[in-house]
Amino acid sequence: MSELLITLLTIGLVVAAIPGVCNYLILLERKMAAWMQDRVGPNRVGPYGLFQPLADGLKLLLKEEVIPKHVDRTLFVLAPMISVFTTILALAVVPFGPVEDAPSWLRFIIAPGIDIGLVFIFAITSLAVYGIILGGWSSNNKYSALGSMRASAQVVSYEIPLGMSVVGIALLSGTLNLENILTQQAQGGILAWNIWVQPLACLLFFTSSLAEANRLPFDLAECEQELVGGWHTEYSALKWALFFLGEYTHVITISFLTSIVFFGGWHFPGIAEPDSAYMFAWLVKLLVLLTKVFICILLIMMLRWTIPRFRFDQLMELAWKVMIPLGLVNVVMVMFVQQFQLSRLWLVAGSVSIFAAWGFLSATAKRAHLSGGKKRPATHTTGHGHGAHAAGHGAGGH
Amino acid sequence: MMEWIQNHPLALGGLVVWAAGLLWLMPGSHVKVSRPVVPGLILSAVGIVLLCLSVGKPQPEFADEVLFWLFGGGSLICGVLMITSRNPAYGALWFALATLCTCGLFLLRSAPFLAAATVIVYAGAVIVTFLFVIMLAQQSGAVAYDQKSSHSVIAILASFVLLGGIAMAIQSQGEQPEPISADQAPAGNPLSIATAEQPVGQLKGLGKSLFGDYLFAVELAGTLLLIASVGAIAIAPRREQGTL
Repeated sequence: MSELLITLLTIGLVVAAIPGVCNYLILLERKMAAWMQDRVGPNRVGPYGLFQPLADGLKLLLKEEVIPKHVDRTLFVLAPMISVFTTILALAVVPFGPVEDAPSWLRFIIAPGIDIGLVFIFAITSLAVYGIILGGWSSNNKYSALGSMRASAQVVSYEIPLGMSVVGIALLSGTLNLENILTQQAQGGILAWNIWVQPLACLLFFTSSLAEANRLPFDLAECEQELVGGWHTEYSALKWALFFLGEYTHVITISFLTSIVFFGGWHFPGIAEPDSAYMFAWLVKLLVLLTKVFICILLIMMLRWTIPRFRFDQLMELAWKVMIPLGLVNVVMVMFVQQFQLSRLWLVAGSVSIFAAWGFLSATAKRAHLSGGKKRPATHTTGHGHGAHAAGHGAGGH
Repeated sequence: MMEWIQNHPLALGGLVVWAAGLLWLMPGSHVKVSRPVVPGLILSAVGIVLLCLSVGKPQPEFADEVLFWLFGGGSLICGVLMITSRNPAYGALWFALATLCTCGLFLLRSAPFLAAATVIVYAGAVIVTFLFVIMLAQQSGAVAYDQKSSHSVIAILASFVLLGGIAMAIQSQGEQPEPISADQAPAGNPLSIATAEQPVGQLKGLGKSLFGDYLFAVELAGTLLLIASVGAIAIAPRREQGTL
């Protein structure tokens, strides 16, 4: 079959699957929330509430679209589109199955062989924040403006640790192409998974991706208790839904990236090896990858009900005083190991000891801060910390 | 110089007409009543078309040509809209679009990493910061002095003299410069020369070139940025307690 046809088929598959998958992820998230809070959750529509997403989708389609008079119409309409478009575009270089073993009529990646895969994803997802900023600004509403200001500061800050965390991976595997990173791990067996040599980078990557996607505990831009709905206060019906379609697509992208970059992609010892030649090996590999992605999504959903939302200064200090220095130290460690041809086992020991040292440092600094704070006026002990506050959070909370 | 002007009346005419159109479009001190935009738009369009006609066709392939005009024209139009829009937020957005179009041009010239890095740094960080500042500064709508451009005549004059100079320099190298093909990249940088297994535009070649041939320039730029950020922290206002 011609290359063009396969590409169109793959694009169609991804674009058609995303809204349906997101719909059912929302049902799953509500069920998880109910389970974690000892409730029943949605159970009225269909058996076990399985048709709830269809009912929700229909409601969002048929609801009245309110565009308030005081908004900037062009940008107000444009913002949700940007949000969805950019997040789906980022999926173009993500291999969502075993690319080499795919059957002839299917390809598991929209744009294969992109040399700068990871950088491309960061570039495109850094554009996703325009949806939030424009939505908030065009709404001409104080709450929305505050929400989008928070979002812009947050995304610009967390892009740095996000980029820093994969520099180590790029140095170790010598490529930024996602397919190659995956193949290298698969060929090396389970001990070659990047999580063993770069556990700290995995933590930094996962955390800062959550911040980029505006998921809890980093959803200060929509923070219901303070800002009504944040940047989407003035949005209703399908435009509102598009914003959340964008957010869930972002969650899916994060989960794919974490599984591929750190957890070996479709590789699993025994059942899905690079030389597995039995029938439907591609299907098994696909299922292995999707299972890893699913576990990652479940983790993100459970985090939502586990860690409370940060305060804004804590959020900023976590990025600038904890994650960026940790990312830098991690990169220096990888460079050291690569330059002197040391065993990669040093990376394991190094990551763990850096993490422990950072935790110890911040705990000490926090204690010093608290005991020193007695001389100062009481208001200062809780307000803007000296880094010890957020550092303590970063080390203890994650 | 005079000779060049005599030989290329089309390019010069295009530049002058474009500058006049742009001057008409610039938001001046007349905040309450705007000029009609149509004459300015027509003048700018005519000027851009004249200038493009005088430069000649750079791309041989059809798809390349379509994309080239799409991205090139897009960046020019977005640039004009950026400096002529009254609303600073719209100005920042047109700037972002102009940057994206320029990245498209980079992609056409086999520089995907440069394109992605430009998107991250400019569209993803610098312009987001602009928007942040605009939102922070103007929560109650733009004030009058922010809606007009100051010194538009001098700015347009200076920028068009620069543009004319660049056009002259390009054209004086020959009417139709040969596009550089993959196997004959400018020599003199031993590590940057493209080979069969390492064609132009691959990340590996870029890294070798940056950290081989241009190591001192890269280190110098890095040091400069470090000094700038240390300086920014040093001159930032500080309070007795905690941060700002």
